[in-house]
Amino acid sequence: MNAPSAVLGSRDRSVRRDGIDIRGLLFAGFLLLALLFSLAILTVLVGSQVVQGFPVFAERGIDFLTSDLASNPANAGVAQGIVGTALLVVVVAVLAFPVGIMTALYLEEYAGDTALARFININVRNLAGVPSVVYGILGLAVFVTLLAVLGDGDGKTILSGGLTLAVLVLPLVIITSAEAIRAVPDALREAGFGLGGSRWQVIRQLILPAAAPGILTGTVLALSRAIGETAVLILVGAVLGSFSTNGSLGALLTGPYTALPAIVFDWARKPGPAFQADTSAAIIVLLAITILANAMAVVLRNRYERKW
Amino acid sequence: MTLSRNRWLGAVALIALIVLSACSSSANTTAPDSTPGSINVSGSSTVEPISTGVAERYKLANSGFNYKITGPGTGDGFKVFCTGETDISDASRKIKDEEAATCAAAGIEYTELKIAIDGMTVMTSPENSAVTCLSFPDLYALTGPESTGFDNWTDASALAASLGSNTVFPNADLSITGPGEESGTYDSYVELVITPIASKMDPPQESFSRPDYVASGNDNAIITGVAGSPTSLGWVGFAFAQENQDKIKELALAKEPNGTCIVPTEATISDGTYPLSRSLYIYVNNAKAAENPAVTDYVDYYLAEGTISTVLETVPYVNLAADQLAETRATWEAAKP
Repeated sequence: MNAPSAVLGSRDRSVRRDGIDIRGLLFAGFLLLALLFSLAILTVLVGSQVVQGFPVFAERGIDFLTSDLASNPANAGVAQGIVGTALLVVVVAVLAFPVGIMTALYLEEYAGDTALARFININVRNLAGVPSVVYGILGLAVFVTLLAVLGDGDGKTILSGGLTLAVLVLPLVIITSAEAIRAVPDALREAGFGLGGSRWQVIRQLILPAAAPGILTGTVLALSRAIGETAVLILVGAVLGSFSTNGSLGALLTGPYTALPAIVFDWARKPGPAFQADTSAAIIVLLAITILANAMAVVLRNRYERKW
Repeated sequence: MTLSRNRWLGAVALIALIVLSACSSSANTTAPDSTPGSINVSGSSTVEPISTGVAERYKLANSGFNYKITGPGTGDGFKVFCTGETDISDASRKIKDEEAATCAAAGIEYTELKIAIDGMTVMTSPENSAVTCLSFPDLYALTGPESTGFDNWTDASALAASLGSNTVFPNADLSITGPGEESGTYDSYVELVITPIASKMDPPQESFSRPDYVASGNDNAIITGVAGSPTSLGWVGFAFAQENQDKIKELALAKEPNGTCIVPTEATISDGTYPLSRSLYIYVNNAKAAENPAVTDYVDYYLAEGTISTVLETVPYVNLAADQLAETRATWEAAKP
């Protein structure tokens, strides 16, 4: 007992010279500096966009949100982008969430610790790190071609865009859902089985409700990723330019479409200060929608979260 | 293991159901490739605002008309035009031989219509009284690939002289501001000024400007950059320079060394005497025009009296001279179905 305490004692003395923990203070200072640094970058980025884009809202107000794309920056608006992003989100939610959550359930509750399950797990994790452009090329090669053959216009529609984005966020949904399911204490499972519940009953009535907040958070965060994705949409044919909308839902699903990040990309290339201001305004709209989605995730989690 | 097999069967059935329902739902919303009443235009990002401006105005009077207009670039535009994907291709240059061959191989016949002219202005600071006119060889010496590192006008003297120019450059700092490589204005400048001379150099040089200049995608920033230094040099779209004549000095240009200096004006650009200008075109797919009245009506409206000139009030290009526009109209009248 003597030797270790002597070592500890000497360490103690070296960091607490004169009663002040200099190294500790330095470390905390560095951490604070790192935090301030990233905050400063964020503030500069968001701030510069707000400064540039705010005049557009001040001048045109709601008109910017309800106008279509146009050649004249003074009339151009993001209405088509908001509708496009909303429809894409619906397609992603309908496709990626059920499939992702079911996959996670299978991997966590049914598959067991087999070589195949481990192989799938590793692959899902790798897929989550694949650059989005690669998914874009996949979408172009598979979904656009397939939908064109099936008669959905030229295939460059909301459906192919949404399908590609769904595949892109699928690994994220699977991983976050699996984590949430894994976090459910085994005691709960055992209690369920102990009461004579079947596997399905245990999953439906105990595990899923307990994991729901975590799953919801993960899926909403995956949605925010889909909302901000640009490269994929450019590859699978979101319009970079302008088009007319003729109103009906059928035309929206089979015709040309665009989304907010694609509009930002397109406008940022255009010369002239007026389109630069419009670009910043579109960025603000995109940020607002993403923050809204993230806030929703936080609220949902806080509302349903349980402590074990 | 019967349970497990049932589960697999269930999973397969579920997947089949999803796929089937997805197929049937998309089959229900079938739309033909080229919807009547709608046009699909792609091509030059320079021409895109004109075509879009025309489409927006046409749509005001014809609510059943729909359009999709994109501007990935002239070359990319011809790629999809020659597969029959688009009805009209915007172009900031004439179609290249190999592109025309691709179109011909795909059986696509087209009509070339010249619609407007894009000019560029080379400019310096109003304080720079030593320079009023530059020839293309001078510009090549100052901004071409071999000028990398030149930070005084006189650094370029020897190269300009070797190209036959007698222009005397001032012994002063050279600071260059121009559009970035992503810009169509950059492409045209390189294509018109640098490429013809670079290809004749021995050994032939690459068709690029020097990389060490201040590049900006914002035309206002280019004007500010040129105005900010007393012996600056820069280039920008003609209309932009016109709007800022109080801040910068437009330079006259000569195509040949020691040739006639031409000042950029609407007149000299539209009659083609000003050397730093290029024609803008639209290419119409003849077969699409024949089967889709919207294409024909749109081009009719495009070339109608007053359409292009109205659009060009907000888009910074120059109107064709009256006789050239008349020529374009005659070409279209002869070609249209």
